Amino acid sequence: MPGRLGGPGPARFRPRRTPPAGSVPPRRRGPLSYWRQYLAISPFYLVFLAFSFFPVFYSLYLAFQHWDGLGTMRFVGLQQFRFLWKDPVFWLSVRNTLVIWVLSTVPTLFGALVLATLLHSVRRFKGFYRIALYVPNVTSIVAVSIFFGAVFSDNFGLVNAILGMVGISPVPWLSNPWLIKLVIALLMTWMWTGYNMIIYLAGLQAIPTQIYEAAKLDGAGPVRTFFQITLPVMRPIILFTVVISTINGLQSFSEPQVLFASNAANANLGGPGQAGLTTLLYFYQSAFLNNDYGYGAAIVWAFFVLIMVLVVVNWRIVQRGRKS
Amino acid sequence: MDLSRRGFLQAAALTAAASGLTVACGGGSGSGGTKNGKNLTLWYWGGALSDKVVAEARTHFAGEAKLTVASIGGDFKQKLTTTLAAGSSVPDITGIKGEDMASFLPNAARFLDLNDLGFKQISSQYLGWKTKLAQTSDGKQIGFPIDIGPTALFYRADQFEKAGLPTDPDKVAAAAKTWDDYFALGTELKKKVPGTYLVNNISSVFTMAVGQGTKRFIDKNNHFIGDQDHIRAAWTTAIRPYTLGLDAKINDNSWNAAIGKSLTTELGAAWHALDIEQAAPATKGTWRVCAMPGGPANQGGSYLALPRQCRNPEEAFKIISWILSPANDARGFTDAAIFPAAPAAYSMPAMTGPDAFFGGQKIIEVFGPAAQAIPDSYEAPADAAVMAPYMTELTNVEAKGKKPDDAWKDAVSQARQIAQRQGVS
Repeated sequence: MPGRLGGPGPARFRPRRTPPAGSVPPRRRGPLSYWRQYLAISPFYLVFLAFSFFPVFYSLYLAFQHWDGLGTMRFVGLQQFRFLWKDPVFWLSVRNTLVIWVLSTVPTLFGALVLATLLHSVRRFKGFYRIALYVPNVTSIVAVSIFFGAVFSDNFGLVNAILGMVGISPVPWLSNPWLIKLVIALLMTWMWTGYNMIIYLAGLQAIPTQIYEAAKLDGAGPVRTFFQITLPVMRPIILFTVVISTINGLQSFSEPQVLFASNAANANLGGPGQAGLTTLLYFYQSAFLNNDYGYGAAIVWAFFVLIMVLVVVNWRIVQRGRKS
Repeated sequence: MDLSRRGFLQAAALTAAASGLTVACGGGSGSGGTKNGKNLTLWYWGGALSDKVVAEARTHFAGEAKLTVASIGGDFKQKLTTTLAAGSSVPDITGIKGEDMASFLPNAARFLDLNDLGFKQISSQYLGWKTKLAQTSDGKQIGFPIDIGPTALFYRADQFEKAGLPTDPDKVAAAAKTWDDYFALGTELKKKVPGTYLVNNISSVFTMAVGQGTKRFIDKNNHFIGDQDHIRAAWTTAIRPYTLGLDAKINDNSWNAAIGKSLTTELGAAWHALDIEQAAPATKGTWRVCAMPGGPANQGGSYLALPRQCRNPEEAFKIISWILSPANDARGFTDAAIFPAAPAAYSMPAMTGPDAFFGGQKIIEVFGPAAQAIPDSYEAPADAAVMAPYMTELTNVEAKGKKPDDAWKDAVSQARQIAQRQGVS
């Protein structure tokens, strides 16, 4: 990196000083002289500008408009946000999202860490286990949701059939408000555990084995090693996965959409009692089904603020105790 | 920052190129191509039209225009809206689903008035209530009716026989003339054949009951009327099977497994027959169909429309009026279970044959009269959005045992809020 500007030697050891009078100052090259390099990386930025950056700010603009997608836009100021504040369904959707997020993130990260530790100590068939555990993450969410919908179906599902064989009466997995959330959370756990496990595994492999050997010599058992060594050393990686899971988990959309959209009478409303209505699903429903684009934009921007707050809170919680 | 002249020129050129690119992408908006074009594109979704008839239309009109057909999957309305808003690559002919028609009407200027092209002369061939639903308040005709979804009562005749109930369609229709009669019949049925239910869920009863009326949730003056007696009555009707224990409470995708087993009757549109047939092939021959309690309603059905950018309106209109002529419409019924919006088709051999799934019953004798008896109703653009909370609250009653009166209050207040957001007073 230091050689990039053409200067000799490692830059950080060079004392800063003004050049002696009379010497010719080295010709500074403006950023535009690197136009070829900029041109080479420009496709990403152009695509990003057109398809990410512009829509993001356009949606902010839309949040202050009333627009049906085709007709003329009407500026309504903060009205959409006032509606939002008084909208019980919005708050219900936020509560749903948070519950589903907690129910899925905690077991996902914990399970991933345990699996990664186990896999780290496995000697044979390492590659097979890695792939087997990672496969759920690359399966289509839609397919998985349909599968879960069939397995947990109230009347004719596999789970209830098995429960019935044991003599337990059928459980209303897809109509009880809490069980709906549990099923969605389970689906997300199933999908994301392998993904986080791979990240943790990479982290575990970076820990020097000497530390473990020392712990072993001192007589620490596997559980103690895990809590006293693995966890503290892995803290930055856990922090990363927590932040990523917060962002991913709060954006749950496809799972409830596919699980409950098959009901034509109540399409995309998040199942019985709207118990599976996540905020993004509500946004989709408002904007694209009700043609209320302004309100949809207001929903996502309000939700963006909420995600930011939660990421900061998470960061704080995971960081805490680091200094001690 | 030392911006060299060369650097400046390069940057300027890049900017110009980039803006040129955007202009090129957005090109073709506005008037949209030449009139009297020979290339026409048709957008529809799988099952909206008979693929055979469309293929024949391509050869039939080959000398005059080249018809390119695109079967658009996914969220059709969304894709059409986006394309219309962008103003480029707009199809010359497009399908519009019946339930989306109301939301397109406020933007009628995006489409051609079919009356100008000659629909006025042939409109009497199509059902009046259906045609009117695609008409603006000032009489512009946006949609050309493809099909409709007249509803009826499907029932398992063998189960009815077991329960000692009438099995003949006319007799069942007489015994289930009103909703109350129907629920009384269901109570009887449940007593004799335990483990069976009358309706799959109460939201479907609500949908039907609302559809039987002339008024919906918003009136022509854009006022919210979802709290009035006609909606309350539909609500009360929907609650009845729940309190009587006749409601199967199916709100997930297990309908497929329930139909024909625990569900002995089903309220549905004509196209629903195919769903039943596919979900429960083993029950072939045991089903019958008769007039729906309380009168018919409409569920589903679509239109063809010509966006304003249509490159050859006269030719396009010729093509769609050929595809949707009564004779070809009748073939749509045979090919894809599309129930024609042209009553003349109902007496054609393609539709009057006996149906083996219904034990050889001529089902057109039920659906034909139903189609013509569907009431004229006004559907506001925000209607579907305003209706949603009622459905949600009905599932709340089913899934959580919420008190029907509380659910009603919540549904109305929620619906009023959505109406307000959508600009309904």
